[in-house]
Amino acid sequence: MSAATKLHKTSWCALRQLQQYRTKATLSGSSASIAKRNDLFNQEQRRQRDAVGRIDKIEVRYLGLPEDVTLVMNSNISTPYNCAQHLSEGHCKRSALALIDGSVPWDMHRPLQESCTLQLLNFHVSEPHPVNKAFWRTCSFMLGAALNRAFKPEAGLQLHSFPGPNIKSGSFVHDIVLQTQNWQPTKEEMRAISAEMVKLAAQDLRIERLDVQQDLAQEMFKDSKYKSEQLPSIAQQTQGRVTLYRLGDHIDISRGPMVGSTSFLGKCTISAAHKVAEEGAAGAFYRIQGVALPSGFQLNHVAFGVLEERSKKPYHPPRPKTKGKDKRHSDPRSTSSS
Amino acid sequence: MNQADVTKLMSQLRIAVRPNKRNLKNPDGPEGRLLKLRKTVTALMKHERIELFYNRADEARGYAELLISNAIRYGDRHKATMELADYWLLEKQLVHKLFKVLVPRYENHNLSYTRMYKAPRDYPGTYYRQSVLELRGNPYPTLDTDHSQNRNLLHNVLLDEARKEFRRQKLSDLVKSSQ
Repeated sequence: MSAATKLHKTSWCALRQLQQYRTKATLSGSSASIAKRNDLFNQEQRRQRDAVGRIDKIEVRYLGLPEDVTLVMNSNISTPYNCAQHLSEGHCKRSALALIDGSVPWDMHRPLQESCTLQLLNFHVSEPHPVNKAFWRTCSFMLGAALNRAFKPEAGLQLHSFPGPNIKSGSFVHDIVLQTQNWQPTKEEMRAISAEMVKLAAQDLRIERLDVQQDLAQEMFKDSKYKSEQLPSIAQQTQGRVTLYRLGDHIDISRGPMVGSTSFLGKCTISAAHKVAEEGAAGAFYRIQGVALPSGFQLNHVAFGVLEERSKKPYHPPRPKTKGKDKRHSDPRSTSSS
Repeated sequence: MNQADVTKLMSQLRIAVRPNKRNLKNPDGPEGRLLKLRKTVTALMKHERIELFYNRADEARGYAELLISNAIRYGDRHKATMELADYWLLEKQLVHKLFKVLVPRYENHNLSYTRMYKAPRDYPGTYYRQSVLELRGNPYPTLDTDHSQNRNLLHNVLLDEARKEFRRQKLSDLVKSSQ
């Protein structure tokens, strides 16, 4: 072990997250496979950090309030969150997403690679489209983690995937497979899943990103039937590399940027679960839908009720604008994921 | 029991009023506390938005709300209310402002007459709680963020789409019913 490993904080963070996992008594999905997945994730994280070698300096030009400054940061180590730490605590707490060179959305905890201009986005900027999309995607991702915690092992829950964020549809979506063909969710069950989302938000878990090679991803998801099927087509679209996101002990595959932490989730309701198709002899695909607002937005209960009612309607993906572009996620049985 | 109904003797204020008064520290004792509070209420009526420490703001708020509430309830011909206004408002033109400007403004109001916000605290330094006390309907720009103008904010995007869908639905229902 090199001396450099004693300096970085990832090993401590990983240990803390594994400890969080170990205190949970019941977990759907094999605990051993989740632990193994997290071990591989930690190892790869440490390996990528060690592979940096000589630390190069980059100039990050921060544009925004209180003033435009140039920060000298470390290439492939410093993240937009570190840049925010040079500005103020308020910047750290408020910024959900970073914008590189005015156009590229970037995760807050993803290392910067070269000199660039940086803008820290929160939900109240004048053009919040990238943040809104990232938030919606993060809600789908968090829903996967919440479902893992909510269901008992007897339910045979397997997460399938979640489609790209479509805010105008009124709901964020996660597709799952359950070993029952006639699940009619009651109000209490839906409320319990919503409560799991709120618990995740209260824990203020950091959302970490990791780019891995396809074979490592296959190794990590070898226990999950649907993920192993999806990985080849995902890797094909992105030149053999797969992007993984981790939240607590939950790891999933997703393309785009997520917000920096679960604390950005404010009001959340998981409103409906529609059966999409049957799977095998005893199982079925279900589409879980919900609606959420970032924290800091106050909406009266009547208006939020309108949004909840709308989010119960079956999700329809947007019609693709250009023919033959990336396959839209209309059917969970198709092997695409975002 | 045969308890007299005392709940209607005083107006019910639409703010949270503490059951006991704060003994705000003053070299002149309780009389000095009252003078300080009179100055605060006068300043509030004059400027319509003031920034001060939290404790005195909360104390003054109760007195200001009761003053306005009595002015609305009894009007300016009522001797006791005039004396109250004369005592609390140290600048006498503000007595006119109270009855001629603030009473018409708040006559049909269902909400409180004042608003209190938390203000940034001086850190490091004297870390006292700061607040901003203002009268509703003041001419200054609002202190709380107005989320209704930017239609790109997430909740506005969701609400606009819900509204569009509702209208689409209504239109199709109308068309169907007319056929």
